[in-house]
Amino acid sequence: MKNVRLRRAVHERRARFASRLSRRRFLQTGAGALAAGAVLGRQLLRPTTAYAAGSDPIPVPGSPILAPFHIWAPIFVDSIDAEPATITNFNGVVGIAYLSGNVTRTNRRTGEVLVKPFVDADMRFMQGVYRGVDGKPRQGTFGFV
Amino acid sequence: MNPGINPYPDGLFWTMRLPDDSVQVNPGAGRAIYSASEIEIEDYGSLNNAFNGLPGVPATVSFEVHWSGVGERLNVKDPVARFGGEFVRGSAQMAWSAVVGDYTFQSDPLETSSSDFASLGTERNGVFFPRS
Repeated sequence: MKNVRLRRAVHERRARFASRLSRRRFLQTGAGALAAGAVLGRQLLRPTTAYAAGSDPIPVPGSPILAPFHIWAPIFVDSIDAEPATITNFNGVVGIAYLSGNVTRTNRRTGEVLVKPFVDADMRFMQGVYRGVDGKPRQGTFGFV
Repeated sequence: MNPGINPYPDGLFWTMRLPDDSVQVNPGAGRAIYSASEIEIEDYGSLNNAFNGLPGVPATVSFEVHWSGVGERLNVKDPVARFGGEFVRGSAQMAWSAVVGDYTFQSDPLETSSSDFASLGTERNGVFFPRS
């Protein structure tokens, strides 16, 4: 499901990045204060997780095609032999699968039931030794969901 | 639905820590079971929302993925990406369920699902990638 539209979504994402760069240049002229407020406002409203620290794993450098994201997408974006793991400084077992089937969605309020396909859902796991942000080796299990 | 990108946009991508018993694996035999129950993630509604760092809706998801079969065996060494490993191609199936707001999702049984690509293996990257 994720991969089918991955290319298009990434291209749109990169286009927006390019657009933001242009906007920054515009702001440097001093004529775009309102636009600056809008951009900052959106960033402030977006919930974020505290930056990685201590035992947290470090993301892989990732595919240049998918930059700024730190991920490889074997077959759909990158080669079939591209790296499946999403964390670096890692030594362990990895699984990856693109899965399809049907799912039933039920609205608990109205009782409406709808059967929909899920297509190429990207599921991965990593289990083994890794060195996190603090550089110490640890054992861990991680899921790409 | 995914765990998000933390921090956005260059942090850990859709990846979260899970209990060690979430994975039972025998990579040489091409077999693995990867499961989790009621983990908390977010539903972003669309890939565009997820990629653009827009807020998601809290969701819980449970899943079970089975790998099986031994097809092609590959030895990969990529000095540019600094990763290498031994992988076995096979097949996989999944059953999953989720709750998002007023909606519940329940997949058909695991046996009815299919995979376009499935691979299991051992990998070394970053500081664990052999220099020679």
